[in-house]
Amino acid sequence: MIKQLFPIRHVIGYLASLVLSAAALVVIYGDLSDAANMVVLLVTAIIQASLQLFVFMHIGESADTKKELYINIAYALFVGLITIFGTLFIFVWGWYA
Amino acid sequence: MDLEKFKVHGEPLIYGAMISIALATIGIIVGLTYFKKWGYLWREWLTTVDHKRIGVMYIIAALLMLFRGGVDALMMRLQTAAPEMKFLDAQHYNEVFTTHGLIMILFMAMPFIIGLMNVIIPLQIGARDVAFPRLNAISFWLFFMGAMLLNISFVVGGSPDAGWSAYFPLASIEFSPTVGNNYYSLALQISGIGTLMTGVNFIVTILKMRAPGMTLMKMPMFTWSVLITNIIIVFAFPVLTVALALMMFDRLFGSQFFTMANGGMDMLWANLFWVWGHPEVYIVILPAFGIYSEIIATFSKKNLYGYTSMVFSMVIISLLSFLVWAHHFYTMGQGVMVNSFFSITTMAIAVPTGVKIFNWLFTLRKGRISFTTPMLYTLAFIPIFTIGGVTGVMLAMASADYQYHNTMFLVAHFHYVLIPGAVFAVIAGFHYWFPKVFGFRLNDRIGKHAFWWIAISFNVTFFPMFFLGLMGMTRRMYTYSEESGFGPLNMLSFAGALGLAIGFVILVYNIYWSTRYAPRDTNGDPWDGRTLEWATHSPIPAYNFAVIPKVNSRDPYWESKQKNTPLYEDKITKIHLPNNTGKPFILGVIFFFLGFFLVFSMWIPAIVAGVGIIIMLAVMSFERDHGFYISAEEVAATEKKLRGETV
Amino acid sequence: MKIDASKPLEYSTEENSNKIFGFWVFLGAEIPLFATLFTVYFVMVNRFADGPSGAELFEIGPVLWETLLLLTSSFTIGLAVHAMRLGNKKATLVFMGITLLMGLAFVGIEIDEFFTYVHEGATLQTSGFLSSLFVLLGTHGAHVSFGFLWGVAIMIQLWREGISPATANKTFIFSLFWHFLDVVWIFIFSFVYLKGLM
Repeated sequence: MIKQLFPIRHVIGYLASLVLSAAALVVIYGDLSDAANMVVLLVTAIIQASLQLFVFMHIGESADTKKELYINIAYALFVGLITIFGTLFIFVWGWYA
Repeated sequence: MDLEKFKVHGEPLIYGAMISIALATIGIIVGLTYFKKWGYLWREWLTTVDHKRIGVMYIIAALLMLFRGGVDALMMRLQTAAPEMKFLDAQHYNEVFTTHGLIMILFMAMPFIIGLMNVIIPLQIGARDVAFPRLNAISFWLFFMGAMLLNISFVVGGSPDAGWSAYFPLASIEFSPTVGNNYYSLALQISGIGTLMTGVNFIVTILKMRAPGMTLMKMPMFTWSVLITNIIIVFAFPVLTVALALMMFDRLFGSQFFTMANGGMDMLWANLFWVWGHPEVYIVILPAFGIYSEIIATFSKKNLYGYTSMVFSMVIISLLSFLVWAHHFYTMGQGVMVNSFFSITTMAIAVPTGVKIFNWLFTLRKGRISFTTPMLYTLAFIPIFTIGGVTGVMLAMASADYQYHNTMFLVAHFHYVLIPGAVFAVIAGFHYWFPKVFGFRLNDRIGKHAFWWIAISFNVTFFPMFFLGLMGMTRRMYTYSEESGFGPLNMLSFAGALGLAIGFVILVYNIYWSTRYAPRDTNGDPWDGRTLEWATHSPIPAYNFAVIPKVNSRDPYWESKQKNTPLYEDKITKIHLPNNTGKPFILGVIFFFLGFFLVFSMWIPAIVAGVGIIIMLAVMSFERDHGFYISAEEVAATEKKLRGETV
Repeated sequence: MKIDASKPLEYSTEENSNKIFGFWVFLGAEIPLFATLFTVYFVMVNRFADGPSGAELFEIGPVLWETLLLLTSSFTIGLAVHAMRLGNKKATLVFMGITLLMGLAFVGIEIDEFFTYVHEGATLQTSGFLSSLFVLLGTHGAHVSFGFLWGVAIMIQLWREGISPATANKTFIFSLFWHFLDVVWIFIFSFVYLKGLM
């Protein structure tokens, strides 16, 4: 019964997300360079987000919408990232100083 | 309570507007009561979830807004017709150009397009309704209440007056202390949420509810354009949602997003506004491209040239539209790298757009062209839009832009893009699909009169503005001196505006005339159409198609007429339809009040309205409404009647 | 209404699978929404005027609790959907209840955090940085709070109706929403708090 209610995929996914969150703490307790810290944050965050998407949200489970869902998320990320980095490009990196 | 803040002080014009609004309201109420139409209005329209009726309501609202925005335009042209005019004062002029822009883009062009897509898309893809009919009704009522909220600002509290782009710091509470820009943030927010829901609804409808056999690459071009448009809506509107929310926080709660001190950044508003604003341009223009594609194919009696390249150019435009926004503020102070980047992406958009222009021209080539009213608008669109596009490339060059940034040159440019690109298209689509909805065509002769008035006057109105801009006249200036030399061209422009007004009056007269006298269509296919919407009756039965058609080409109805192959193979079975519901309307009304109370910082009533919205959502969540069935016999009987056979 | 028995209950009718697909599209819209809030935050992050900076303001303790709660609740809502697919109504309700309680605890800690900030003189009106911080966190918190109310409504319906195509569909869609909020939190945790404390 308990085994049935706690599928191994979910348990591993959960443990992995805990480990990744803990690993990210290295940026405040560790002694890495700023650039290395950003890499750590990016890598742990992206893996965790993917865990949610693929393990918990079952994005690929329905064969007749799989492709559309990937395009949907890809387009959303395209717009989101363009907004973030485009704006930083305008106001921070590319500002006329 | 302090009633003073609700009042608008002004001139006879404002009192005149108040009186006319009051008279119109009384007239509507008296009329409905006298003709005992309240029940009809509630049952058939306010509670409807039928995509066709919702579409018609969108279009009616859009037409009303067209005239409201048109009157604004006439007032502006009159005020600037001669030097030192005293028709409007500066404040009033500011309000008028602000509401003109807002209304024309958000409450005229968009709802007109959304109205057409509501009516046509389910028919074109052979579906019985949209994916979420109730959500569709909610979308409409949110849009409508947002529009009403903006419109009452004119007489209750004062209109927004910082331009339709509402740049900070001008739009901040410090420099615009009236409630005008509160209206801006809330009215747009409410209707924007509705639009976002429309986007979700139509993406699901088009991707999931097409008739069997209609693969993506067999979809009609209008359906394709609407799909791409809704994708842009879904990903661009959230940016506006955030921008408007931040504006509201700044104005109502004293936050420091766009302020001049305490770490605020006024230019961030312009940035966010245009991250949404540029894709918005393509939201109104891509469906127009779809409409023109349908009309050109139908009236040239040819299939569309370069279908695949049409589709890909739209996909590319949709991606590029998110990469160009900074071209709206080249002069803001960002570096050369930034301007160069956005300059190049902007010019790149001209390439897929040019591909489309050539495709239309090649579709016309060797076609058997019939010059109907919708076709005339389409043919006028091509050269006029090209002028708009070419001047757009001029503006895209960042260094050259410094010369004519925010001058009348820009005003001329975007009217040359938006009027043929959106207004001509919706009028053409209106004429083209009118018989589908109402069962008779608008008179062609009167329609052509209106067309010539509109097309010629348009050029008379806006072409002089290119020169005014190059002479140095900036946009949004409410008056100028005689020595400036702007007078004659502005007078010419005013004359053109009068001509446009005459054209639109003729257009409305045509609706009246045709309703009374035009011959009724009998077969539902007055233009010898190509796509599925012509394959059902006019007026359209509630269930759209008695039997879902089978599709195996891009022009399925044309194919079936040419080859005499049947579109419908299955037998008639019972048809499932959703029930009407008044809840979307009520939800819309509560949103209206929430917006109104927030505009005037009336916190307690606003909280009550907010709780009301949550209660309505809960009620809708708990409701189980499985709709109803029309029996096969009843469908068969309706079909016979619509074919004109005696039952 | 045609029920396709080969699919899980929540996908079983055309309307149901359309709703799931539609909700995914809506989540697609939530991505640029939060991306815009992050944009504003990143632009504002060093514009703290006379107010405190992130490094002065943030404390890791409550943030770790919030993270643990949301990660765990995302796990339990996944288990709820899993139990629902097994047809186990009681387990579904229990897991969902745990999820919502953790959501509530999360909101509680966040509100407490806000009070602490305000107490330290860091308000919405203090600086551009704080405005953007409060609105980013507040939007996420408002989503969690709305999710709590929504989840309660669904639990009542599950309780009364059992696992039907309608309730299964609602529960599944709710789970998507909840997982998504966890994704957003991961980015807030990493790029607001950890980066601020770095």
